[in-house]
Amino acid sequence: MAQLNLQHIDKIYDNNVQAVFDFNLDVKDGELIVLVGPSGCGKSTTLRMVAGLEDISRGKLLLDGKDITQTPPKDRDMAMVFQNYALYGHMTIYENMAFSLTMRKEDPNVIHKKVLAAAEILGLTSQLNKKPSQLSGGQRQRVAMGRSIVRNPKVFLFDEPLSNLDAKLRGATRREILLLHKRLGATMLYVTHDQTEALTLADRIVCMSMGHVQQVGTPLELYDTPNNIFVASFIGLPPMNLFDVTFREGKLQGKGFEVELTDAEKATLSGYNGKEIKLGVRPEDIVEGGSLKVKVFSNENLGMNTLVHGHMGDNNRISAKLRGWTKYKNGDVIQVSFQKKHFFDKDTTNAIRKGEK
Amino acid sequence: MTQIMEDREIKLDRMRFVKNTSSSRLCYLAILLNVLYFVSIYKSDVGSWYYQILVGGSIVYNLLFMLMTFLASEGVKSYQKNYSKILLVVGVLQIARIFILPLKSHQAVVKVSGVETVVMQNPQFIRVLIYLAGSAACLLAAAMINWRKCGMLEKHMKTLETRNAREAS
Repeated sequence: MAQLNLQHIDKIYDNNVQAVFDFNLDVKDGELIVLVGPSGCGKSTTLRMVAGLEDISRGKLLLDGKDITQTPPKDRDMAMVFQNYALYGHMTIYENMAFSLTMRKEDPNVIHKKVLAAAEILGLTSQLNKKPSQLSGGQRQRVAMGRSIVRNPKVFLFDEPLSNLDAKLRGATRREILLLHKRLGATMLYVTHDQTEALTLADRIVCMSMGHVQQVGTPLELYDTPNNIFVASFIGLPPMNLFDVTFREGKLQGKGFEVELTDAEKATLSGYNGKEIKLGVRPEDIVEGGSLKVKVFSNENLGMNTLVHGHMGDNNRISAKLRGWTKYKNGDVIQVSFQKKHFFDKDTTNAIRKGEK
Repeated sequence: MTQIMEDREIKLDRMRFVKNTSSSRLCYLAILLNVLYFVSIYKSDVGSWYYQILVGGSIVYNLLFMLMTFLASEGVKSYQKNYSKILLVVGVLQIARIFILPLKSHQAVVKVSGVETVVMQNPQFIRVLIYLAGSAACLLAAAMINWRKCGMLEKHMKTLETRNAREAS
């Protein structure tokens, strides 16, 4: 398998629109990196540049230390799995999986061995004589993956491979991709706009917005210590609650509410006395019991948890994911407290961490 | 030796997923040669000699031949043994056809613009002979290859079934 280095990569289209700005990433051998972000953030463009389907305007792309910035896609030893599967409808599954090797004029017996091995890994052995139209979406996506596996490429590239599947199938196929990654130990770059996919699959996540990398880190790092408001609100479902507050007299004062702080939190905000900041609280970090009053307007039972939406203070919208099955009605007032708080600089939108100003 | 055995087994196993293209391609070639045959006959300019019931029958048979051979080519592609029998019959009929219209035309003499002319002269006769004989050879070869491959595949499938049953027990 392989190491991949993206160094100061820019993508500028002919009409001078810049899609990717100074992208830097070192992908370790056998690592699964997920590029996540909203539509149009440049994640697919980055992947296509790695695959060689888009030119790199500036910067360098290294594979195992070798500069492949100008190398044609066919010589990059990478395999790409597309969202729409890109299977040949008139060929059987076996022929589809064997296609790339047949084109390279490999020995038919070797091709046969590789196809059977890939089919075994993906549980497609009994489907090999069928046509793609006879398979479900999940099976078709597995065929597309099988077509990549038989090539034994250095790097696997996935461009939103689960977007065409329904929710149940998406979950199952996601687990299959994870197992496949563990089994093959392959270096993989995976693009998605679904943060659940990103959090469950990735060794590391690259969170992107408007062509810029916002944060690179493990799923837990992005969830627990987001670099800025964008990452904080993008990662996590439901998204983080954000409030405009002022740090004054060791407390956070918002519109119609006040939040007590611990000594550690006060120390973190020591440089912001009297200044307005953004307070972020994840819905799952809100618990019942405390001094903050929330006027409920919606109660969604999710089974194990209940999602309660309401207003706090002067019309500050808040969502809380409370444990258990609650039956609050519109107009009920509940008291809550915040278990964990995130602070962001209002001007730069960056996270405020201890010792930083 | 083990390597050769393994290669042979893989080659056999491939037949489970790879179509019998050699037989079907031979069928297509047989159709092509037959087309060349009837084009060669129908373009002959020897007065009204060909305007007879035999040529009518030949036209109908050509259409039937192409239909049957094409269907058989699809059948042999997926290793269906019975299509070999059809190909065998059609192949023999192609040989038999040499002795009907081509031979009769080769021996016949007609008056064209007052001049006595052999309906099918030697070069054309040899060409037609090659087309029909070639077509027949392709069909017979396709039939035999398919028959042999079907036998091999059947045997291989039985071996696999036995092996799977043994592993399951």
